[in-house]
Amino acid sequence: MPSAAVLAPVALPLAAAAVIAIFGLAGFNLGRIAAAAGGWSVVATLLAIWLPVRSSLELTLGQLGYGSAFDLRIDGVTFAFGMMIALPAALLLTLQPRAWQEVVLSMLGLTAAMAAVEAGGVVLTAIAGGTAATIAMVLLDTEDPRARRPSWGLLLAGWLALTWVGVILQVGGGTAVYSAVPVATVTGPIFALVAASAVLASCLFPWRTWPAELWARPSLRAAGVTIATLYPLGFYLLVRAYELGDGHYPHPLFNVLLAVIGIAAAAAAAARAQAAATRREFLGEVIPGFGGFALTAIALGTALGLVAGLILLATASALVACLALLPDRAGIAPLLTIAAAVGLPPGIAFGARAIGIEATFEAGDFLGLIGVAAAAAWATWMVGGARAIGLPGGRGHPAAETFPRVSMLIAALTLISGPALAAIQFGFAAPVAAEVMPSSAGSLGGGLASVVTVSSVLPVVILFVPLLVIGVAIYASTGTSPIRTQARPALFKFPVGSASGRVWAGIRAATVPEQYRSILSVRELEAAAVGASPVLWLAALVALAFAVTR
Amino acid sequence: MPPDATEIIVFIALVLGFALAFAPAQSPRRSLLVRGGTGLAGTVAIAAVPTFDLAILVLLTLGVLHAAAGGKRAFAIRLRAPLLAVAMLALAVVLARVEGPVVLARFAAVGLVAGLAAGIGLLPYLHPFDADDAAASSPVAWIAFIGPVLAAVVVARAQGLLTADAGGAFGAMLIGLGLLNMAWGGIATWLTESTTAAWRYSFIADWGLALCGIGLTVSDGRRGALLVLLTIVLGRLPLYLVFRQAAAAKTATERPVNLVVAAMLAGSAPFAGFAARVLLLRGATQLYWPLALVLAAGMLLWLPGSLRLGRSIGAPRRRQALGVALMLAANIAAGLYPLPLLEAARL
Amino acid sequence: MVEAAAAFVAWLGVSMIVLADGRRGLGLGVALAGLGLAAIVFQGHGLVAAAALAVGAAIAAARRLVSGSAGWQIMPPGSTPRLVLCIGAGLLALWIGFGITTGTGAALRFAVMSVVGLAGARVLASDDPAVLLTAVALLALAIAAAAGLSHSAPGMWPYVAAGLIAAAVGWLPVRTPDAA
Repeated sequence: MPSAAVLAPVALPLAAAAVIAIFGLAGFNLGRIAAAAGGWSVVATLLAIWLPVRSSLELTLGQLGYGSAFDLRIDGVTFAFGMMIALPAALLLTLQPRAWQEVVLSMLGLTAAMAAVEAGGVVLTAIAGGTAATIAMVLLDTEDPRARRPSWGLLLAGWLALTWVGVILQVGGGTAVYSAVPVATVTGPIFALVAASAVLASCLFPWRTWPAELWARPSLRAAGVTIATLYPLGFYLLVRAYELGDGHYPHPLFNVLLAVIGIAAAAAAAARAQAAATRREFLGEVIPGFGGFALTAIALGTALGLVAGLILLATASALVACLALLPDRAGIAPLLTIAAAVGLPPGIAFGARAIGIEATFEAGDFLGLIGVAAAAAWATWMVGGARAIGLPGGRGHPAAETFPRVSMLIAALTLISGPALAAIQFGFAAPVAAEVMPSSAGSLGGGLASVVTVSSVLPVVILFVPLLVIGVAIYASTGTSPIRTQARPALFKFPVGSASGRVWAGIRAATVPEQYRSILSVRELEAAAVGASPVLWLAALVALAFAVTR
Repeated sequence: MPPDATEIIVFIALVLGFALAFAPAQSPRRSLLVRGGTGLAGTVAIAAVPTFDLAILVLLTLGVLHAAAGGKRAFAIRLRAPLLAVAMLALAVVLARVEGPVVLARFAAVGLVAGLAAGIGLLPYLHPFDADDAAASSPVAWIAFIGPVLAAVVVARAQGLLTADAGGAFGAMLIGLGLLNMAWGGIATWLTESTTAAWRYSFIADWGLALCGIGLTVSDGRRGALLVLLTIVLGRLPLYLVFRQAAAAKTATERPVNLVVAAMLAGSAPFAGFAARVLLLRGATQLYWPLALVLAAGMLLWLPGSLRLGRSIGAPRRRQALGVALMLAANIAAGLYPLPLLEAARL
Repeated sequence: MVEAAAAFVAWLGVSMIVLADGRRGLGLGVALAGLGLAAIVFQGHGLVAAAALAVGAAIAAARRLVSGSAGWQIMPPGSTPRLVLCIGAGLLALWIGFGITTGTGAALRFAVMSVVGLAGARVLASDDPAVLLTAVALLALAIAAAAGLSHSAPGMWPYVAAGLIAAAVGWLPVRTPDAA
């Protein structure tokens, strides 16, 4: 396979965007066909490049001018995250009708996200990720300038922090290429920056941020593509951080801290979900919930935890497409979606969460407690899901954008693919572990039928297939007609939510006390500065002269 | 002629062409051509003359011509800052050339820094500003048209004039002034009442970054500074001219193009401003990493003001829209692949 | 000795510009300062350079004599601070030029620093275009004279350019501020 092939997943959507834009400016909307071609071409090229050889393919061209060469690579990590990004985006672009401007921006966002995961070094990832964030903001604004969108400041801060990490690695270690950075260069402070940028890039916070808020937009065209392209990038950084550290984070404390952040995010999402007023509000917390569980698993520092986290992320990416296509009216589609989202057996989410919790117990010490917390959060999700079945749907979305059968199919696939957990681990997640944790990836085993952990073996096929049969039988014997949607009381109210709102309102309403306003008057300060007073100028000159004599 | 000054001059000429080609039909093109052409000739002269004394004389001439050309402010007010710049640069040159105590060379560095700041119109030597002044008559002509070349020339000349000790003081003062202007410009862009003034402060913020880059004695700092100057000339200045048209029509919109423009002005990826920031962070990290932390934090100040400025250009139409699109495309190209620009400036 | 006298004349001329508001005072100031600078430059850099400065100053002085406020108006009421400035700047320039700095060309150093400093201060303090343009002319002459401090030969171009600027600046039409 020629190394130039790595350009394809980046170049093809870019070319598609250019073609669509040219035709669009000329007055011809190429419609969903062109969008689908652009999106699915990424999936196809990823499969075509990775599957035949299942080893890294790299292309390095000349220097770009800021200390980084043009370095693209497709390895196991790229393949996994590339599929997580491209598959839901391609599906949404194929099905949902859009104006050509939105298609172009979506293609550009996909290009940038793919460039971020294909980049061979930290600086290029930062530039591509920052570009993806910028494009996402423009896309959301193009669709609806008044609807919610992410905090641009947070996104910019995250990618700027990663840029700084990249230049520190270049200055300190001579390179920022993932596979070439000296392990000793990745110190605690540098990793703290990486972790901060990852958390900011995906907004992995316990409070409600854009991965949940975007689902409340009147239309989910842009929201779906945005979450599909942006949300996985923070996790990508944390996975690559293992490669930087030769399979480890610099200190076990980082594993614990990130795992705590993850479980806090998952638990908080669960608490908000079980108090949701509508089914759409509940489903809006699904992605942050999955993200929290995934972060907990990835942060454990074990190969098993890593694969569990990746499988959870892959499930989340499937659910992004599912949720974006799901209508708000009651029916079998939301029922299956909720079942998939809360991790009912024998779904893939169930299996991955079980493995993730197992991994926390095997990691031991404090991480075992996190496993207990994860189990509690999971139980909250289950209860919240049961409640959500009977909730009112929500305000609804344009019918042209919803495809309940496709949504139902995606949800059903995640439910019935539980028995394939071992196969998914083998084909999808294990290569990632082999890439970033070469020394401990060998502990993953079990083949296509079972998952081997340190202390046990989980025969997924044998266990999950009967569960699947039971589940189908139960569904066949019941129906959705008895479900009556109505407002339902929450199990518990999250006390922090209202308190934090009051604190924010108080901060926003704060003003400088009257007696100090003359000192801190911005207007007067500005008037003094632009007044062109020779006295000020001479005083500044004297100050400078004084400073140089010190 | 310093290679970076040559490159900046080329881009200034491009911007003048942009202004003439994409200005609305009712714009006074002749006046723009005359004033712009004079300014361009002056900047070429500043860079091309063989001695620093001649460059200062050219600066003096430009200052007097610009002040005499008219505007909302009195001649005396318009003349003060450029003349102060000339006087300080001249005194600096004198102190650099005479023999005497070592501190004289440091005072020469003070004169060069203060003269440069006064010539461009940066804190603490802000030029008096009237929001109703035409673009060519306003301090923006100094800060965005003449200033970049002046900075390149002064820095190039300073290397020959100053001793190593004084050069260190020169760099340190530039960084100090740079941080001051970054902070002031970033906050003032966001909070000031007048949108025209906000644009002026946004230039000042960018100059803060450029000064920090020049003050960093490593090559990455100079590269970053050059890219910042190019974003001022090739990005911010053309958009300011578009804004002046929109301001006259009293239009401010919130369309996607406004957000893209805001992204460019904020130095987001993939625009040239982000590449400049990468280089500046590299330079600062090499020299003194806490400075990189301060720079990175300061870079976030661009965002709120940029959103405001992006809205203020309204919805460009027809020729103007094409001009804005070309400018954005050029910025993206420079942001993704700045190497040719840096090599052309021999950096 | 000649250089010292010429430097004193240059200081006297620029002080006249600081202290005078009328066109005769300004004209005399330009002439004196230009003469002083030309004399110093002649000692070090030959006739052409000195002639350029002298001719420029002469034309500037002639122009000033026919435009601006009438009369001399030397030391009008309230000009004590200006007088203090002239004396103080002169002493400072004297101290730096002859006391702190070393080497030949002390008179040139004194003359340049005092003319640049005082002309710059006059620009900052005045609103009258005639005064401002006169100060600009002197500033140009002083900058050219400072070229003589360089270790390498400056050539004649700085002097010629300064002479041209000094000669032409007096004819510059100054527009009044546009109406609001």
